[in-house]
Amino acid sequence: MMSIRSLAGACLSAFAALGAFAVPASAQNYPTRTITMIVPFAAGGPTDVISRIVTAHIAQTLGQSIVIENVVGAGGTTATTRAARAANDGYTLVTGHMGTHAASVPLYPKLAYHPEKDFEPVALLAGTPILILARKDFPPKDLKEFIAYVKANAEKVNAAHAGIGSVSHASCELLNSILDIKPVGVPFNGTGPAMNALVAGQVDYMCDQIVNAVPQINAGTIKAYAVATPERNPSLPNVPTTTEAGLPAFQAQAWNAIFAPKGTSPAIIATLNAAAIKALDDENVRKRLLELGSVIPASANRTPEALATLVKNEIAKWTPVLKPAT
Amino acid sequence: MDLFANLAHGFVVAFSPINLLMCLIGALVGTLVGVLPGIGTIATVAMLLPITFGLPPVGALIMLAGIYYGAQYGGSTTSILVNIPGEATSVVTALDGHQMAKQGRAGPALAIAAIGSFFAGCVATVLIAVLGAPLTKLALAFGPAEYFSLMVLGLIFAVVLAKGSVLKAVAMIVFGLLLSMVGSDIETGASRMAFNIPELADGLGFATVAMGVFGFAEIIRNLDHGAEMDRNLVQQKITGLMPTRKDLADSTPAILRGTVLGSILGILPGGGAVIASFAAYTLEKKLAKDPKRFGRGAIEGVAAPESANNAAAQTSFIPLLTLGIPPNAVMALMVGAMTIHGIVPGPQVMQKQPDLVWGMIASMWIGNLMLIIINLPLVGIWVRLLRVPYRLMFPSIVVFCAIGIYSVNNAPVDVVLAGAFGLIGYWLIKHDFEPAPLLLGMVLGPLMEENLRRALLISRGDWSVFVSRPLSAVLLAIAAGLLVLAVLPTLRAKRDEVFVESEG
Amino acid sequence: MSDTPSEAPVKSILPEWVRGPQDFVGGLAMVAVALFALWASSDLQGMHGFSFGAGTAPRMFAVLLLLLGAAVALMGVLKDGPAIAAYSWRGPLFVSAAIVFFAVSIRPFGLVVSAFAAFLIAALGSHETKWVEAIIVGACLTIGCALLFPYVLGLPMPMFPRFLIQ
Repeated sequence: MMSIRSLAGACLSAFAALGAFAVPASAQNYPTRTITMIVPFAAGGPTDVISRIVTAHIAQTLGQSIVIENVVGAGGTTATTRAARAANDGYTLVTGHMGTHAASVPLYPKLAYHPEKDFEPVALLAGTPILILARKDFPPKDLKEFIAYVKANAEKVNAAHAGIGSVSHASCELLNSILDIKPVGVPFNGTGPAMNALVAGQVDYMCDQIVNAVPQINAGTIKAYAVATPERNPSLPNVPTTTEAGLPAFQAQAWNAIFAPKGTSPAIIATLNAAAIKALDDENVRKRLLELGSVIPASANRTPEALATLVKNEIAKWTPVLKPAT
Repeated sequence: MDLFANLAHGFVVAFSPINLLMCLIGALVGTLVGVLPGIGTIATVAMLLPITFGLPPVGALIMLAGIYYGAQYGGSTTSILVNIPGEATSVVTALDGHQMAKQGRAGPALAIAAIGSFFAGCVATVLIAVLGAPLTKLALAFGPAEYFSLMVLGLIFAVVLAKGSVLKAVAMIVFGLLLSMVGSDIETGASRMAFNIPELADGLGFATVAMGVFGFAEIIRNLDHGAEMDRNLVQQKITGLMPTRKDLADSTPAILRGTVLGSILGILPGGGAVIASFAAYTLEKKLAKDPKRFGRGAIEGVAAPESANNAAAQTSFIPLLTLGIPPNAVMALMVGAMTIHGIVPGPQVMQKQPDLVWGMIASMWIGNLMLIIINLPLVGIWVRLLRVPYRLMFPSIVVFCAIGIYSVNNAPVDVVLAGAFGLIGYWLIKHDFEPAPLLLGMVLGPLMEENLRRALLISRGDWSVFVSRPLSAVLLAIAAGLLVLAVLPTLRAKRDEVFVESEG
Repeated sequence: MSDTPSEAPVKSILPEWVRGPQDFVGGLAMVAVALFALWASSDLQGMHGFSFGAGTAPRMFAVLLLLLGAAVALMGVLKDGPAIAAYSWRGPLFVSAAIVFFAVSIRPFGLVVSAFAAFLIAALGSHETKWVEAIIVGACLTIGCALLFPYVLGLPMPMFPRFLIQ
């Protein structure tokens, strides 16, 4: 069904393209054909799900379908490199992420793009809060005890993470640098295996995105000390924020945003930004994002300019933390 | 007992028309994906995920699950017909399956693969329903040390399955291990032997290397002068489509053993299914009265690994259904599918989503039934495909493989790499090196290295963890025993001074 | 990689004392691969304290392959074995050419053009090929693939040449 529509779309756009030879495509009637949205992570992950929920609504607003292309590899930088090199006609967009557009800068010295120089920020979508998690029989009862414990036992504790460049790795490094400890980091291949090791009690603690952790916390197979956002999360009302628990310096969120290749016309950016804001205000979209435990940005943070500032600040935040790690 | 009530509830859910339809679609797509070389389940499930947006969650997951185990049925088809394993789990099937096809027995090989898969699928489904929750403990009991020992055991299996020189088989395993090192280092993220090629940053894909050393190399070799005779012979020799009474009698114990091994190993997250198929093959070869038949068209060599991989495909759902933790990439995508529908699976998923869990379990049984109904008649069609003149067949396989490899990552470089591995594979065949141990080394290499390093990180460099942890010690002991069994006959044979010297 | 097939008949240049040229050359090639891997991983960090460095495992396996390759080569000296098999050039050349062509053309020209052309190039690899038949089958296969992959399996792939769409 979908395919017939896209077939028809392809035919139509082929004809439209023939017409376009005579009249160069202008930003006024954008978009005239299917838009490709590159998502730098596997389908089904938090970034993918958020992108899909929001772009489905954007596509409605724009009256054109948006095809999501998941390109995985090298912590999302493979996909982002491809997006940076794509035509800046507004028909190739990319979901940028805390990893691809900030943490990647210190982590990959040979990065083939620069988040600020090679992209036009479009709109911030939603973020997933980071939690401080531990195995269920880890001695400390709350964050204060946790801090004291890991400092006292710095030689003994193990911190799991989902692989170099993953959100859990970056945020754990941030936590460790704030606490000024250097625990042994045990790398896993993705969030699933890392969570498995934490549930099995093979490692002591980890930092991870809220989505996959909530059911485990509710079932008591792991415990959460704090959520690294300014406000408590509705899906875990009993978990204090880092500020409440006494570690206000630790603030981290796996934010997701739309970017376009550098040089995309401002009119197109404005169109897309307006559509994204409309999506974030939609009742149904909001409900689904909140169900995921996501945080939806406040109105002031939804402009392209605000996103540019965010990228700048995030790079500044992660660079000193992650630089020595490589 | 609750079990029957739950299962009855599950069947009510699974027998609803929409879910039956979803199950059928899943089984069909899975078969197709398995048959097409290169196209993997991961890529397909990822691509079909968005379509499940519009479906009810239970139906969507029933369909995705169907694709996953359906591919296990289909995966054996190309292994047997054209010697191209589509999935890591069907590499061993190619060893004897393709030999059977060359002897005109493609029909019985395909049929026994389907029958074995069906039996294993049924048993494993019951196992999930009855023992799912207690078996979860096994998944949690396996820490890095245990995994490392299991991988060592897996590598020993690869030695045993060698047809010719053990020394050359070991060399191929190590070559495979070395190839698996390409890509990012898990602990430091350092790029290893990737030569700044972005497509190599995450390592060489299994599909890329498998298509190369099996698929393309086989084609190139078949184009050699003199190989034509062979091929024509195959086309004339095709005999019965279904297994004979003797075939069934030979296969039955193999299917039983394969099912048991597969069911147990499948529960282990990551690599369980691959090791299961290799282990089942090794076990049959070791138990056989005449191990020489293996690699030359022994039907047990098809029945055992195919049963094992399908049993493992079913039981690998256990960690997902009881813990909410995805044990492999396809399951991670299924978690994604659940997330899209607002269900985040966790340890309480069985209580909170009985429709989903029991519906899925029931649907697996129905799906396996559908798959055998789909696959047995297909045997005739597949075998007829062998009658297509090779001059038309081989360019088609080249194109299918190329598209398949491209589709995995949408990366043209992967296709070129597969071509290069085709030439390497051709060279290996010419020098009588076997590609199967190479592939096993490649699959197990990263798992072995990563778990070794994790284990040592956690133990702070204390190597004794591998023997002080009981499970790990048992696995290593089995590995050592098997190694002795594998090397002894070689030592007894004539050429042995050389082999002993080389060990030093 | 370093061990592309050697096309020339190697046997003539091997000295008398090589009794199993197939194993001898095979073993030496493995040694070459191992040396290449050692060189390629030489820039990687080794053991530090109790934890492995990035380079530890690759070097370990490379050394192991070096020893095994040497052992295989030694077998070729000590034991009578088969001669180097003959290589043909036609199959490898055209099959590789088809693969490379497909890889290069899939993005700019799309599935239809690249699959059809790759089919015909691969068909050049056999002297049995009958052209009329090959073109018909190639066309059918291309249409089949064009329907199967993007529509039935939903894999996103460019279908037609880019200049026709934009």
